[in-house]
Amino acid sequence: MEGWVIAIIKVVFIWAWVLLIATVMTWVERRGAAMMQDRLGPNRAGPFGLFQPLADGIKLFTKEEVLPKKAHKVLWSLGPLLFALPAFSAYAVMPFGDKIVLGGKEIILQVSNVNIGFLYILAIGSLAVYGIVLGGWGSNNKFSILGGLRSTAQLISYEVPLGLALLAIVFVYGTFSLRDIALAQQGTFLGFLPNWGIFKQPLGFILFMVAIYAEANRVPFDLPEAESEIVAGYHTEYGSMELGLYLFGEYVNLVTLSSLIVVLYFGAWHIPYIDVSKFLGPVSWGIVSFLIFYLKVSFFLWLFVWVRWTIPRFRYDQVMGLGWKALIPLALFNLFITALFIQLAA
Amino acid sequence: MNQDPVSQNDQERLGELVTINIGPSHPAMHGTLRVVTVTDGETIVKAEPEIGYLHRGVEKLGESLTYHQFIPITDRLNYCSAITNNVSYEMAVEKLMGIEVPEKAQLVRVIMMELARIADHEVCVGILGVDLGAFTPFFYLIIQREEIYEIFEWYNGARLTNTFGRIGGLDADLPDDFEERWRELKPNLRKANEETEKLLTHNRIWMDRTIGVSAFSPEDALNWGFTGPCLRACGVKRDLRKDETYCMYDQFDFEVPVGKNGDVFDRYKVRMIEMEESIKIIDQAYKLYKEMPADAPLKARVPKVIKPPVGEVYSALESPNGELGFFVRSDGSNKAYRIKIRPPCYMIYQAFNDLVKGEMIADLIACISSLNVVAGELDR
Amino acid sequence: MAKPVVKKEYTLGERIYLLEILKGMALTWRHFVFNVKASFRPEPHTVPTCWQYPEDRTREISPIFRGLHMLCLDEKGREKCIACGTCAKTCPAHCITVKKGKRKEGEEDKYASKMYCASFDIDLLHCIFCGFCQEACPKEAIVLGREFELAQYTREECHLDKQKLLANYRKAKEEGKLRPPRKAVPVVKPPPKPEAGAPKTTEGKAGKPAVAGKAKKGQVEVKKAAEKAKGAGKAESGD
Repeated sequence: MEGWVIAIIKVVFIWAWVLLIATVMTWVERRGAAMMQDRLGPNRAGPFGLFQPLADGIKLFTKEEVLPKKAHKVLWSLGPLLFALPAFSAYAVMPFGDKIVLGGKEIILQVSNVNIGFLYILAIGSLAVYGIVLGGWGSNNKFSILGGLRSTAQLISYEVPLGLALLAIVFVYGTFSLRDIALAQQGTFLGFLPNWGIFKQPLGFILFMVAIYAEANRVPFDLPEAESEIVAGYHTEYGSMELGLYLFGEYVNLVTLSSLIVVLYFGAWHIPYIDVSKFLGPVSWGIVSFLIFYLKVSFFLWLFVWVRWTIPRFRYDQVMGLGWKALIPLALFNLFITALFIQLAA
Repeated sequence: MNQDPVSQNDQERLGELVTINIGPSHPAMHGTLRVVTVTDGETIVKAEPEIGYLHRGVEKLGESLTYHQFIPITDRLNYCSAITNNVSYEMAVEKLMGIEVPEKAQLVRVIMMELARIADHEVCVGILGVDLGAFTPFFYLIIQREEIYEIFEWYNGARLTNTFGRIGGLDADLPDDFEERWRELKPNLRKANEETEKLLTHNRIWMDRTIGVSAFSPEDALNWGFTGPCLRACGVKRDLRKDETYCMYDQFDFEVPVGKNGDVFDRYKVRMIEMEESIKIIDQAYKLYKEMPADAPLKARVPKVIKPPVGEVYSALESPNGELGFFVRSDGSNKAYRIKIRPPCYMIYQAFNDLVKGEMIADLIACISSLNVVAGELDR
Repeated sequence: MAKPVVKKEYTLGERIYLLEILKGMALTWRHFVFNVKASFRPEPHTVPTCWQYPEDRTREISPIFRGLHMLCLDEKGREKCIACGTCAKTCPAHCITVKKGKRKEGEEDKYASKMYCASFDIDLLHCIFCGFCQEACPKEAIVLGREFELAQYTREECHLDKQKLLANYRKAKEEGKLRPPRKAVPVVKPPPKPEAGAPKTTEGKAGKPAVAGKAKKGQVEVKKAAEKAKGAGKAESGD
């Protein structure tokens, strides 16, 4: 019974927390973009415009839902749901801190420590494409269909290098559990480097970064919703909260993927060279590890914004070319090298 | 408009082709352009531009308005560089009447036209970036354009639709603070251009998106009647400022940039270099302007009611988009018998099908931005 | 009409994407830092390029800005307009209607001239703010002011009658936003008249532009006197 309560608390907590980050992200994106472009950005709602996401949310909720006459009703309403739900549920296996000891009971900061966490995230992540395709198809709009098709091709192609990069990580750590990988990154590597995934898998990290930008439909891979080409791609016809779900799902996706980078390549809640847990009590360490983790996550979230407002967009065939001609061979090469090193070290 | 039908081979596959209607209301269709595109997947089989959504009967208006009254109407042709249109029209009427504009007025015209050219190119390059997904350079450029508009505002009180100059000369002298403003603006313009280049030119994503996209051979370009940066990007060194000089352009030292492939990248590059050259021209022109006596005439003697002698005239100048010409026919009354405008976009836009055939939808957007098709000029 | 095939030649730095992307990111970061620092400056100008318009009205508008029209009064508070109708004739948009009125006895302190405008209407929905009316006006009576917020809810409000035009003038005068007097541009001086007895040439016809314009730079003399300039202003002011 107690286990259930703790699990539910953890689920509600992390759900609210991710939601909060995603909300703030919409503000960060707009405001950050404005600052890079010598503008002001939203600054009316609340201090520094911080309540802007709230105002947007209210606007989206109170807007009329417009269903195009020839849209497929079921698929139309299924689209946003299928997009947003996987984005949230992927967080179920994500560790967000070390552990916290309350009343003599050790609680790990992870909703559930599944030993195939990896595969779960890959599987759930692939589901998101259905949301986009169904939305694009259900809208019965040529631009939407184009957007949906672009996204299918793109997501499927980039899942291969993503999976191969992750496989190399599995080679290194010998486990599928995300928590175990996070724990394994303590200490130093080769005596002077922090024992982080990025130093063991530098090439794999770059491949993974590129692949997740494609997975998240962000610039330079935002083809499915390229606003200057196909209006808004798969969500051209959507309005009100259905559009809100798409937009929101995208930011939740960003949080999930950024967390994944931190867990796999940036030592999760570890700080290089110092073992903070020795200086802190069990409760405070839990909180501090949580904060460290999200500090790192926020950097990667910012990176998404930063890159978006710096570079142009790829073309459809160039995305495919990059995926199949550059990333996949490199990923295979990376896998081979990793295997070789492990074999030699053994 | 290109009427060549979908080829036989395509007809057979007609079931596989999709007709996509891009525009007239579409984020990248700069106003009200419309392209009916037949695509095979994302590859364009046929792109048929349809024009006329911004048709306002400008040429017809010219017949019912007096010669002076038509000047504000020319503002509305290429609204990115209204001053060039004004001067082009005024030059046509002056040629018809045999008026020689005082040198100082010509220098002011050159200064203002080059400022307008910079503003036009900044918009074009900025929008090209936006359409290819790079949003940021647009703002760096557009901020500088605002500063140019500030100069215009202080010149005669309007920012966009300037109604610059009058037949026979000018309506006002350069404002006293022009020198100061220009001194402040010049480094900022250069900096904005530099930053744009830094963000775009050597970025491989940008290069992939632009190099070789909608490339055009010089012969085709000449046959289609290309002028301006689009023609120069194809490698044809033709610039009316040098070839058929007007407004004392022969006294300035400037380069005419020429591209190689006539693709989007070359058009972008030609525009970037032209901005730099325009800055040089303004410097030289302002130096000459300063050497003139302060009370040198700015306007030729023009009768109160303009009644050109019976006859017809065609006069063109190098507008930011290419050769902008006005044909004016007079029957001796105070209104033109006929005014025909030769906008550069119209000729360039004709070749649109040939430019984008076989490319992808994303390239169509890049192509239309790089051609800088302005609907106001196109439809008139 | 085969398209030319373009060979792409990249340097190594360009080929690997990342180098140039990082350079670009450094540039946007510089802008970001600069603007974040700037945004902590005191109001209203936080970021240098942004004007918080409805609240922040500190942006200087050109004194010769072509905005809302006004009918001017002279120093004695009399209406300058003589209802000559030049503005209405000059207007490319045909948006001005002027009705004449004749000054009666005892109205000398109201109207500057014997004729005055009984009504003066401008349809702002037609007006294109080209400024030809103020240029054509011989008395500098109609002037375009600096007011630029012209959006209204009804069509009637977009119609300026004489009372509104005068009110605009009073408001502008109160705020010290009157337009400075127009500077007429110097015009090429007419060539010297042919000597008496000489065969009559086309040069004799005053204002024949084809000849008048041919005056070379060396021969050009400039009218300096203000009255002459004003006269020229009349001559130039179109039809």
